[in-house]
Amino acid sequence: MQQFTVHRIGPEIKIAGIDLSFTNASMFMVISASVILLFLFLGSKEKKIIPNKIQLIAEIFYSFVAKMISDTAGSKAKPYFPFIFSLFMFVLFCNMVGMLPYSFTVTSHIIVTLIMALFIFIAVTIIGFIKHGFKYLSIFVPSGVPAVLLPLITIIEIISYLSRPVSLSVRLFANMMAGHTMLKVFGGFVVSLGILGGWLPLSFSVALTGLEILVAFLQAYVFAILTCIYLNDALNLHH
Amino acid sequence: MKSFLSTFIATLVINSDLYAAEAGMPQLDPKYWASQAFWLIVVFAVLYISISKFYLPKIKNNLDNRENKIKEDVDYANKFKEQSESKIKEYEVIIEKAKKEVAKIILQSKNNLDKDIQSKKESLEKEIEKEISKAHSEISEMKKNSISSIQNLSENITSTIIQSISGDKLNESSIKATVEDVTRKNVSRYL
Repeated sequence: MQQFTVHRIGPEIKIAGIDLSFTNASMFMVISASVILLFLFLGSKEKKIIPNKIQLIAEIFYSFVAKMISDTAGSKAKPYFPFIFSLFMFVLFCNMVGMLPYSFTVTSHIIVTLIMALFIFIAVTIIGFIKHGFKYLSIFVPSGVPAVLLPLITIIEIISYLSRPVSLSVRLFANMMAGHTMLKVFGGFVVSLGILGGWLPLSFSVALTGLEILVAFLQAYVFAILTCIYLNDALNLHH
Repeated sequence: MKSFLSTFIATLVINSDLYAAEAGMPQLDPKYWASQAFWLIVVFAVLYISISKFYLPKIKNNLDNRENKIKEDVDYANKFKEQSESKIKEYEVIIEKAKKEVAKIILQSKNNLDKDIQSKKESLEKEIEKEISKAHSEISEMKKNSISSIQNLSENITSTIIQSISGDKLNESSIKATVEDVTRKNVSRYL
């Protein structure tokens, strides 16, 4: 599990007794963000009517996220497009950078995904209350439910609402960690079985790497689309 | 074989030792949680601001530009299409007119020609008739003339024949009367 350990890089930074040192995790966050910014810079540098490859890819990402938001949360969610786009790109690039050998996967840390999920959860709740006032609480009371079941359903709805940040963060973190651990285990088998028996786990490793790249994209997509769905609940209150 | 097995087992043992040493999840070690949260917020804030302020408007601009350009081009194309369609209609009208005119001209010239031919034919026929009647009169004159000359000839021949047969010279007037008589009886057969 050495690949998941966080260690300090450079001097120790302590503010008010809290250790805020720059770590390898921070470094890979910076790397991912820089890659995103570089990609977007190259993708929006030239204003061509017929785009070149990198511009085309940037525009595909743009329209992909735009379509995702308008499909799930409608036109009211347009002001939140930059946030969801940044979120999607950040998670995607952190996952993808983590697929490189010897790199660090930022999103395989529960604290990182939890911070993001909590921020989304709190922001969505605040947006819901700003848009609908106390009527937003009706999200816990679905319509068309028999009166006998209503208390039970309401409790279940509240629990499911409150467990959103947990499920959102754990889903991403667990997927990333499990994938990397599995790759590590198969890599260990390759080494321990040697040149005679190592070919089978090696081929598994190759296949799993492909799978992990798919998972890296998929989890970023899931993270972003769940954010859209939560946002949709807050913006268009139709329960 | 034995040595291979022992090394295999030994490596497995060493590896499992390594696994044991690495056991536990570094993710649950709270030592750097604050640092990670802090740097995540900093990095993501920078990323969010630069994306939303610089890059997304640029990309959106590009996309809008392209869409507008395509729309403009399509509009232009539609305009030109409409123009060409109206031109085609105009041409069709002109061609239709021209066709009608051509038909008129053809009809007119045909009529003219017919009239011309008719008049020419008539005048020719008249001339031909004239010629024919002239020829007829000439022929009848010639016939009449020929009768008198035939009478003379027959008188001469008759007198000569009679003279050579009988040796006498007959009275010319009686011969003439006889020939005239015969001629009158038979002339209708030839005229």
